[in-house]
Amino acid sequence: MKHSFISASLLAVVLMTSLGSCRKTYLPSTAIDENSALSNAGDIETATIGTYALFKNEGYVRSGHFLMEYPSDEIAQGQNSSDDLTRAYRYTHLVTSSHPQLFWSQAYKAAGAANRIIEVIPDNATPDLLQLKGENLFIRAMMHFNLVRIFGRPYSQGSGLDAGVPILKEGLTEEEKLTVPRSTVKEVYEFVITDLLKAAEFMTQQKSNSFASREVAYALLSRVYLYMEDDAKAIEYANLVIGNDIPGTAATGRYRLLQGAEFSNYFRNAPDGNKETIFCIRHIKTEDRGYSAIGSMYFSGDASGNAQNQAFSGWGEIYASEKYVNFLKQQPGDRRLSFISSYTVNGVQQMNTKLTPNTPMHYINKYSLQEGIVNLSSPVYIRLAELYLNRAEANAKLGNTAAALEDVNLIRTRAGVASYTEADLTLLNKSILDIVLEERWLELAFEGHRVYDLFRNNRSMIRNYPGSHVVGGNVNQTIPAADNRVIFYIPQSEIDKNPALSQNP
Amino acid sequence: MRNFLLLIAFLAIGLTSVAQKVPVKGTVRDKSGNSLPGISVTEKGTSNVVVTDDKGAFSISVLEKASLVLTGVGFASQTIEARTGNTLAVQLDTEAAELQEIAVVGYSTKKKSQLSSAVTVVSAEKLTDVTSSNLNSLLQGKAPGVVVSSASGDPTSGSNVVIRGAGTINASTSPLYVVDGNIGGTYNPTDVESVTVLRDAAATGLYGSRAANGVIIITTKSGKAGKTKIELNSTLGVAQATTGNFKLMNAKQLYDYQQTFYNPDPAALNNNTDWWDLAFRNAMVNSYTLSASGGTEKSQFYVSGNYYREEGTLIENSNNRYNFRANLTSRLTQKLKLTTMLNGIFIQDKYNPDATVYDAYLNLPFDAAYNADGTPVDARYGTWYGRDRDNYLHSLQYNTSKARSFNMSADVNLDYTLLKNLTLSTYNRARIYHYNSDSYYDKRSKEGATNSGSAYMSNGFNTTLVSSNRLRYGLEMGQHSLSLLGVYEIEKGYSESSGASVKGLPPGRDAFSTATDIIQNPYGGNDRYMFSKYLGQADYSFANKYFAVASVVNEFSSRFGVNNPAATFYQLGASWIISNENFMTGIQPISFLKLRASYGTTGNAEGIGYYASMGLYSISTGASYAGLPGAAPSQKSNPDLTWEKSKSMNLGIDMSFFKRIDLSVDLYSKETSDLLFFRGLPATSGFDGVYENVGAIRNRGVEFNLTTKNIVKKDFSWETNFNMAFNRNKVLEINEGRTEVNTGARQPVAVGRDMDEWFMPVWAGVNPDNGDPLWQNLIMDADNKNYITYTNNYNLASRVYTGKSGAPKFTGGLYNNLRYKAFTLSAFVNFVYGNYVYNDSRFYFDNDGLYESYNQMQLADGWNRWTKPGDIATHPKPIHGRSDASNATSTRYLEDGSYLRLRNITLGYNLPDQITQSLRIANFRVFVSGDNLYTATNFSGTDPEVDLGSGQSSIKYPISRKLLVGLNITL
Repeated sequence: MKHSFISASLLAVVLMTSLGSCRKTYLPSTAIDENSALSNAGDIETATIGTYALFKNEGYVRSGHFLMEYPSDEIAQGQNSSDDLTRAYRYTHLVTSSHPQLFWSQAYKAAGAANRIIEVIPDNATPDLLQLKGENLFIRAMMHFNLVRIFGRPYSQGSGLDAGVPILKEGLTEEEKLTVPRSTVKEVYEFVITDLLKAAEFMTQQKSNSFASREVAYALLSRVYLYMEDDAKAIEYANLVIGNDIPGTAATGRYRLLQGAEFSNYFRNAPDGNKETIFCIRHIKTEDRGYSAIGSMYFSGDASGNAQNQAFSGWGEIYASEKYVNFLKQQPGDRRLSFISSYTVNGVQQMNTKLTPNTPMHYINKYSLQEGIVNLSSPVYIRLAELYLNRAEANAKLGNTAAALEDVNLIRTRAGVASYTEADLTLLNKSILDIVLEERWLELAFEGHRVYDLFRNNRSMIRNYPGSHVVGGNVNQTIPAADNRVIFYIPQSEIDKNPALSQNP
Repeated sequence: MRNFLLLIAFLAIGLTSVAQKVPVKGTVRDKSGNSLPGISVTEKGTSNVVVTDDKGAFSISVLEKASLVLTGVGFASQTIEARTGNTLAVQLDTEAAELQEIAVVGYSTKKKSQLSSAVTVVSAEKLTDVTSSNLNSLLQGKAPGVVVSSASGDPTSGSNVVIRGAGTINASTSPLYVVDGNIGGTYNPTDVESVTVLRDAAATGLYGSRAANGVIIITTKSGKAGKTKIELNSTLGVAQATTGNFKLMNAKQLYDYQQTFYNPDPAALNNNTDWWDLAFRNAMVNSYTLSASGGTEKSQFYVSGNYYREEGTLIENSNNRYNFRANLTSRLTQKLKLTTMLNGIFIQDKYNPDATVYDAYLNLPFDAAYNADGTPVDARYGTWYGRDRDNYLHSLQYNTSKARSFNMSADVNLDYTLLKNLTLSTYNRARIYHYNSDSYYDKRSKEGATNSGSAYMSNGFNTTLVSSNRLRYGLEMGQHSLSLLGVYEIEKGYSESSGASVKGLPPGRDAFSTATDIIQNPYGGNDRYMFSKYLGQADYSFANKYFAVASVVNEFSSRFGVNNPAATFYQLGASWIISNENFMTGIQPISFLKLRASYGTTGNAEGIGYYASMGLYSISTGASYAGLPGAAPSQKSNPDLTWEKSKSMNLGIDMSFFKRIDLSVDLYSKETSDLLFFRGLPATSGFDGVYENVGAIRNRGVEFNLTTKNIVKKDFSWETNFNMAFNRNKVLEINEGRTEVNTGARQPVAVGRDMDEWFMPVWAGVNPDNGDPLWQNLIMDADNKNYITYTNNYNLASRVYTGKSGAPKFTGGLYNNLRYKAFTLSAFVNFVYGNYVYNDSRFYFDNDGLYESYNQMQLADGWNRWTKPGDIATHPKPIHGRSDASNATSTRYLEDGSYLRLRNITLGYNLPDQITQSLRIANFRVFVSGDNLYTATNFSGTDPEVDLGSGQSSIKYPISRKLLVGLNITL
């Protein structure tokens, strides 16, 4: 009896302890521990790809596009959307609107990820590492610039003294990150410029137009200075990018304006070889967002590019405005008409009949049909044509009418329409700035410029065309540049989590 | 054991020498005349005991004029006079009194009367009145404090169970399931012998750590020594979707309505399509079960097979299940018992591949479903008034979506009697779960056109290994009884999943190999986790009057941070059977009276993902860019993350009056602290939030369970069970001085409030002057006094706590069972009261003209629209494309979700014994049964039952009303 008691106890003890020794933890197979994520140059390169991926995210690309483009007079919405995007189009923002929240959140995630890399690379690192640091600085600058133009008033309106957005710089403690207040617009612009200058200095490699490089930083600097009305600097940095490109001739510089059919098919080919694109947010073939794509809102049709009914391949409920289309059609043969797909049946322009008044269905295809996939697109963030037009606008403001006209005419010639002469200005009773802004409108339509081009130049947004921007049959809507809703509310949920944030009026 | 037998023999000899003994013989049968083996026959007041053989016969030598006490599990004990001569014929009644039930509690089995815990046992009979393949759905309303809610009537989807209120925010609220003595495992409802619901800490605590939400213990059937029993059950029926108070507009109604704010095309009236009617159908439900059970004294078996098929009331939606189970018990030696259990469940799910439910609600009656030639209209082309240009009938010609899964568990349990009183047991289970789903969108359909045909598939493979090793010591000394238990248990889980999507498939071909390109990159990965725990328990009783139990558990989980991966929990319980005291013997009406008390701590580790404590960089394809692999920050670290802990206290009383009325009442308070919560952080942190142990929540409540035998007569009996549970929830604390965890959400979880309280602007009706929507706008005057003003500007509407919660004030069930001769009639009603449901889909179908391209609901009783100044209306003046957000979140769509539902009514008929005996069958029963035949509610949607976790009703697939006929034959 004693014997069996002992053996039983032993057996029990052995059984229990043999199993008891294991108390393990596991690592996921699709993620790595943050402590080993940035331990060598290869890892930092991988993590830099990750920073790009954060703003390739739908919350940034798609929501950001809605916020930057939908308040413009380039587009018209037909039937009301159940998505919050309609509020951007109608200027009926809510503090709880989803797209500002999504954009804000994703932009800071990308900036935060960039900071982790910026923090680990000293300024005297190897050129390879400095290149990566430069790319992350560029991304951080781009995030802040887009944030400040969406949530902060135009620089030109209050000399940059209005409330901007929180600056997420490197080296903040975890606690500090939770209570960053809004800096002024001016401070944010200064932060952006510092980053871009440093980025340009660090970046020595020429990567494809899906990645940041020195020229990309220069190009963005040109835009930032233009917005700040530092026209000389805007020209200086535009020049650095344009270099010795002579349109229509064999390229000697890095970039050149696309010509002819190549231009007409600008957005349909894979972006990699595109000599005009300075920076795009690359989406590869396996990153088709389908109905959630930007293009799904603008276009519905087949893979050959033939327009079809709404909801054929996408929602197809945001159209090119009649105002824009009519203006574009003033010059027959304008190659930029190829970015509009008018939906016609037997030659008859179809209308969105669901709305009073009827909205003509001119689809927009700048965000569709990349590599033959209907809803695929790599949204272009900066392209060479903008740089010419940045330079033109700056020259126009500096009184260099001839120089401004020269750049405008380069763009017009490429589009296959007649050039302007200085005499035309008098004839048309338009200022050179009017002409430049018109050309920016024609050329850069749907690319997120129009809203800023008008408001920062203190011009009103005039929407006198069919659409649902005003409810109740009236189609005339004018938003003065001083209107509160020229910018978006800071997302309420961010204010709730960070009481240091103030709300826009 | 041998020593023990010798002792008995010695005693017997000793006794014989003292007094004259006489032989007594007898047979024991149940009410149906089946012989009963394994019944203990004891000479009263002695330890002289024998057990009946497989023919139910016994033979015992006793003193003259002695009494015999017959006892057996599941039967009421009976005392008879020991008479010599003729063979005694004893009939034992099944033990119906609820308090005498056997309950599997923690790691042991006890009579309910001996428990110190709040425990409810639901027998197979009561469980399976409703026809469903989902055990939770069968449990609804049958145990106090167990709140079951289904988000959908889809037979392929499950339901949500909450015991004693949700005590957590982000972690799982699901109870822990224990099947046949081990955590996890598989089962089919037809094989379930009983379900035991453990609610308080003293009982749940043994499962430690992971039992903060209560435990549901499932015991599957096993064989009994004796004649082999073969049973066939067959059920066949038809189901329809319930639509409650909800009605959609027809073409004329919609047209007339739209004319008040819009110029609808008169041609729209050429059609009057009922999209709901086309989407739903009379669906078939079948269930067939064949089982065999029996065995010898040494080995018993239970083997069953079940085929279950339920069509969804929605077209192209069904659930097929094939279930097999074999439970075998063998006494290998006198000391060693082996139990092996094998269960395999193969499930085929068919999902409706289109947005058919959505379309059923929202497609316009103006659009024709079929062309003149009878083919479905392709909504992409030509005139189509509806917003989504989707005719599901067209797509369903080509597209499919389906899944298959195989779920298998194998248990090997050994119980080894090391010594008298000392048992070593090892319970081991391997579970394998394999899941595979695919969907196909043909290039001819709208969904498949843009990709020129597309196909998707995903695979999952999971294994769970559990080993539970137990050492049990029992000691009886006089009136003292003590049992000690030590357990070491380990669980390891592994899961992997992968998926791919392809495009460019020829029409009608869904095989991946026919595709020409991929849509997205394939994905795949795997996860691992483990739990391990030590447990000690002591259980003591004295004189069958006083009971005490104490236990301590230390459990480790791989899910938590390096700083605190393990935690210790303890439990205490005590009870007192007052009716066994001498002073109670004279008090006739009270046949049983017991007081219970328990206190203890339990934990929760579910619902937070496997790696919630780690700081991570994602390396999945979402972190890649321009075709290059990347790594992006995806999770903020919290190495301090640890178990969510609940402290709960339970006071209970069990009473029986006249042996006919059983009443149990439980009072409890459960306080959960260190809540596992994904705390939102400002975006400048670089993350959406972080997993933290944040705050405390308390649930308090009362539960009662009343069973009465109203009439007990030979030909007529009537039994009633009524149970109800009241639960109140309050958020006590949130760390770091904050007052809300989810600021801005519809249910923000705020200190001092019910965690499910709704927070939103208060709808103030319609301005009688102009038909504008109005919301409350609270203004604070100079004296800090609030007063209410009204605004038609949604941005100015004050968002407030509404005082209305998504959690019910009380829930319960009422069960009545009547038997008249060979007929039985049972009716079961369950009810939920006092919860508010956010009827989210009214955004679409009750939107005051905003969308002319969605169908609208007919106004419910008491609702009206503003048409002219002076109208007092519930609905604003309709405006096409309105921008005043009249359909944005507000109390306007917050509706009373209370309901009372006739869950089941069953009329059965048992063929009389004379006939069954001549047919040589043991039992023959036919029945007709109706599920969910009637629901009383004020809710305006199709069905007030929502997943109470979210409290919202959104494009609801309503539950089914079923009519069934069935047949049970036992050989």
